[in-house]
Amino acid sequence: MRIVIGEGSCGIAAGAIKIHSAIEKYAAEKDIEIGITGCNGMCFLEPIVDIYDGKELIKRFVRVSESDAERIVNAVENEDFSSLSDIEISDEDKNFLDLQTRIALRNCGKTDPESIEDYMDNGGYKAIKKVLKMSPKEVIEEIKFSGLAGRGGAGFPTWFKWSAARKSAGEKKYIICNADEGDPGAFMDRAVIESDPHSLIEGMLIGAYAIGAQEMIVYVRAEYPLAIKRLEEAIKQAEKAGFIGENILGSGFSCKMRIKAGAGAFVCGEETALIESLEGKRGMPRLKPPFPAQSGFKNEPSNINNVETFANIAWIIENGGSEFSKLGTENSKGTKVFALTGKVNKSGLVEVPMGMTLRDVIYKIGGGIKNGKSFKAVQLGGPSGGCIPKELLDTVIDYKSLSATGAIMGSGGMVVMDEDTCMVGMAKFFLDFTAEESCGKCVHCRIGTKRMQEILTKIVNGEGEQGDIELLEELCGVIKDGALCGLGQTAPNPVLTTLRYFKDEYDEHISEHRCRAKECSAMLKYSINPEKCIGCTVCARNCPVKAINGELKKTHTIDQNICIKCGMCSKVCRFGAVSIG
Amino acid sequence: MDKIKLFIDGKEVLGTKGETILNIAAENGIEIPNLCHSKELKNFGACGVCLVEIEGNPKLQRACSAAIEDNMIIHTDTKRVKNARNAALELIMSDHEGDCVGPCSLNCPAHTDVQGYLKKIAEGKYSEAVEIIKKKIPLPASIGRICPHPCEAKCRRRLVEEPISIAYLKAFAADRDMESDSPFVPDIETGSGKNVAIIGGGPAGLSAAYRLILSGHSVTVFDSMPEMGGMLRYGIPEYRLPKSVLKKETENIKKLGVIFENNKKIGREEFSVLKKEYDAVLIATGAWKDMKIGCPGEELSGVFSGIDFLREINIGNVPKIGKKVAVVGGGNTAMDACRTAVRCGAEEVYVIYRRTRAEAPAEDIEIEEAIEEGVIFKFLTNPAEIIGENGKVKAVKLQIMELDEADSSGRRKPVPVDGKFEILEVDSVIAAIGQKYDSFGFEEMELSAKGMLLADEKNCSTNIEGVFAAGDATNKGASIAIAAIAEGNLAAAVINAYLLGVPFEKAEHRYSERNVTEKDYAEKEKAKRAVMPVKSPESRRHNFDEVINGFSEEQARNEAKRCLECGCHDYGECKLIRYADENRINMRKYKGVKHDIFTEKELVSIERDQGKCMLCGLCVRVCDEKIGKSLLGFRGRGFKTAIKPEFEHSEDIADCRNCLECEKICPTGALKIIK
Repeated sequence: MRIVIGEGSCGIAAGAIKIHSAIEKYAAEKDIEIGITGCNGMCFLEPIVDIYDGKELIKRFVRVSESDAERIVNAVENEDFSSLSDIEISDEDKNFLDLQTRIALRNCGKTDPESIEDYMDNGGYKAIKKVLKMSPKEVIEEIKFSGLAGRGGAGFPTWFKWSAARKSAGEKKYIICNADEGDPGAFMDRAVIESDPHSLIEGMLIGAYAIGAQEMIVYVRAEYPLAIKRLEEAIKQAEKAGFIGENILGSGFSCKMRIKAGAGAFVCGEETALIESLEGKRGMPRLKPPFPAQSGFKNEPSNINNVETFANIAWIIENGGSEFSKLGTENSKGTKVFALTGKVNKSGLVEVPMGMTLRDVIYKIGGGIKNGKSFKAVQLGGPSGGCIPKELLDTVIDYKSLSATGAIMGSGGMVVMDEDTCMVGMAKFFLDFTAEESCGKCVHCRIGTKRMQEILTKIVNGEGEQGDIELLEELCGVIKDGALCGLGQTAPNPVLTTLRYFKDEYDEHISEHRCRAKECSAMLKYSINPEKCIGCTVCARNCPVKAINGELKKTHTIDQNICIKCGMCSKVCRFGAVSIG
Repeated sequence: MDKIKLFIDGKEVLGTKGETILNIAAENGIEIPNLCHSKELKNFGACGVCLVEIEGNPKLQRACSAAIEDNMIIHTDTKRVKNARNAALELIMSDHEGDCVGPCSLNCPAHTDVQGYLKKIAEGKYSEAVEIIKKKIPLPASIGRICPHPCEAKCRRRLVEEPISIAYLKAFAADRDMESDSPFVPDIETGSGKNVAIIGGGPAGLSAAYRLILSGHSVTVFDSMPEMGGMLRYGIPEYRLPKSVLKKETENIKKLGVIFENNKKIGREEFSVLKKEYDAVLIATGAWKDMKIGCPGEELSGVFSGIDFLREINIGNVPKIGKKVAVVGGGNTAMDACRTAVRCGAEEVYVIYRRTRAEAPAEDIEIEEAIEEGVIFKFLTNPAEIIGENGKVKAVKLQIMELDEADSSGRRKPVPVDGKFEILEVDSVIAAIGQKYDSFGFEEMELSAKGMLLADEKNCSTNIEGVFAAGDATNKGASIAIAAIAEGNLAAAVINAYLLGVPFEKAEHRYSERNVTEKDYAEKEKAKRAVMPVKSPESRRHNFDEVINGFSEEQARNEAKRCLECGCHDYGECKLIRYADENRINMRKYKGVKHDIFTEKELVSIERDQGKCMLCGLCVRVCDEKIGKSLLGFRGRGFKTAIKPEFEHSEDIADCRNCLECEKICPTGALKIIK
């Protein structure tokens, strides 16, 4: 039997390394194999320890702590797990994975990311062998047949980009992987690279062969050290195995591979800014045309795809484009990975077939809203995307249906919000982000997003005026029209969608100085209900600014001139005497 | 290569495949505005000003980089294009901080180029200074002496210590110019064959006459008084503006060919003749009718109006005012009247004013000098009745007043204190409380509700074709001389266009204005305002000699050197402000914080004003692509992005070969050569 510890970044953050050491300690000199795997997507259950018998997963223990190590080892040794029912995954939680359809994440949380053998044992590098016997044109045809579209956000057909890069004349061609994942709350790319780096390498190799590239470059943010380490190791292994380098597998096809660590500018996820950064310049978008397929890195034809896109490629070649296109809807084929976060019970990585409804993802897989609160909206596509309200929960996941709501498919950020989320505050959060992350090049984005952010700040501070909404709407329109790159052109989306679905909240902030979610502290007033206050002095003692006056056993009062609306009094009061209005 | 056909704004044009829309449009006379493009450099696409709409393309395209295609239909002026373009300009302006022109010039009704002439005075080039001044003011020696100088009120030097003595420097330069061997003489355009009649030879009429004669028209000025100058001649006392100075300046205008017809009062008949015989007529008769106090006793002998009193003195008559005189009013005319009364031998001169000194519209220096000359100010009093004896003034009964809340004009409203009065025994009362237009002879002209001559403020036109009006006679009524001059200039421009048969449109200029406080000048070296040498109160009380002695040359040049040169050195060439005007943008549409504003030396001899830098990147790119040095670069992110030297080490600056290409290519005044 084999003990496998989930050691993606999320598992490690939850304590997987300590558990690993403890298990090693107790298993020392016992005939127990210990292995690691990446992230299986169930972030809410980390750390996770799996028990395998050969290839079969026989037990899964969740929220494991260091102190569980000994009994796990003993249980494995005795092949008796009856005493571990307290940490065994529940049937309810098993649903999280069982309801998914995994292609891009097929190996994540199953195989050892640091072992090429493990990858190959699970069918890895079969696709490249198959591809090397095909013509590049046939490869592109197969991808076209699959209907795969770019998973980075824009959803452009992958075959089309490959074909354009293939047809472009150039001395050298490049295939580039965009792993500059920057949306707040998104971690799909990181999980794939950390958990299954070889599937990325194989996908890129197939792409390189299809377009005739001589070099593969992965642009990954430096904030992903584990991903970089595992990918570096995987590249070495693949080179050693003859999958990367000169005359690959005797086919005559040669291709190098390297990693470029990016410094973490959000805009470098925009393909032309990414190329500038690769060239050692400041990451600022270029004018398009020319498109990278015509003139990209070093002015040579270049193809850029996202991590998830590449992670699908080997599977498509192996199983056929038609198998892929069986999944999904009329206009969107295959599956999509989402980083499900926010006020949802089960947060983590999910991969679902296109066509599933948002409701199913959030309620069936995600287990509904935390703390019994009610669902308000879900933000798709991060700062470039938009929110989708309750009434549209039955919208199916496909490019067309999501765009129709004003949101976008995006790269996979899916942030769930409940009744306690202020939608104006949410829009401001994203504008804070885009204004900060604007590269500063074009006027519409650099100054326009700043002005939008300022207006939103005014509104959440209770200083909104009549005309602010109209000015915001106008700015949204001109920024969409005038910004140079995708970052700027999509920056107004969070505001546009909140204005579309939650305009009443904006109006309340401006006209009534009221935030129904009670998130905008400037508009809140904390007061003590004399009928409930018993004069216990707890609030007064905990108030960080000494705004609460009152003697023991007498009603306390809050001095509004001093109160900073931190909410501490409300948190510590055991009698529900603090009211927030 | 074969040419392809396309359409720009409905015009069919030809171009070669691969060329940009911007270039093809320019070749065909269609200017697409752009701020970050240069033919010499690679396309960049930062400014978003050159956006165009292409039929069939859902997105707006940047004309600087979008290549033309066969049968492309391009629009450069749709509503969507204009919105996006104007938004770019408005957003830039919301983050742009610089003074297009100095606040002195902006606050001058005639927008005189103060900064320009102060520079010339500092250099000792007085005639060149006068050349600049006379572009706006044809009577600088006179105006420089009497102007209440709104320019000085806004002079930034006041944030360092005190404003520059702008007004008098103008008079100084004009005096020196007139004394010089080769005083400034303007160029006159060749004759147009058109003639203009100007009724009224005051500041408005003379300014219009000056401008129109320079434009090549024949000009005749009619005036009812024996000398030209209007209120400058007959309203302002000799001790403030010597008649000899004014005479020299009006004579200079005459020398240019303007015909002066004095002692010609224009009545109804004369007016109809002028209308027939002249191609255009300008009414600039001023406001010579006095306003009444409105209390009993005003008909008594010994009650004068301020204007009449001053006019009589200026003609050479001395009205019998007696030993005790009360002047009613708190404006400059009241000051002229009381100080003149002192000079006429009155022993006790009172100024009756219903508010306090703080609210008095008169110049503070005038009040100060009047007090020095012995005038007694009775603030917070108002004449309730002029008491007479045998039909002559004996005393004035004063209602004691107090100040209430501020009224619509922002001044605190005076209200009577119930039952509190004071009797002041006087021999005469001079009422200097306002002036009105006298419509006698011009009955066919439309009047405003307040009885002023109605003229379009944008183009001076009246209800009669070919008849224009300007100055104190019109609209809001009497104001300061420089305002009349500004209106005279405008009237001249309008009449010139009218005579040439071309449409006139008043240029509407937008200005960027810097928001500064004392703090911004904390480091500035202090230099006190030049003190004007004046005659002592004793030596000036009994005569009409000019009170001031004037600056010495050294004083004047040093004073001019105090100028902070607030106005942008690149104003005339600035593409940004030109587009702002052409597209009629709203300069204050977007409000918000501005990026870090500071001026710093960079490279060998360049100074960058970050407030004016709009990050078009032309300087960065010219240094990189054309010079091959890459000494400048973008730094920071988001709204805080700024262009700075790529490395802030002196050795890299040493690599700068001072080619000044960055300064030359800058579309605004962000880069300046340090001399």
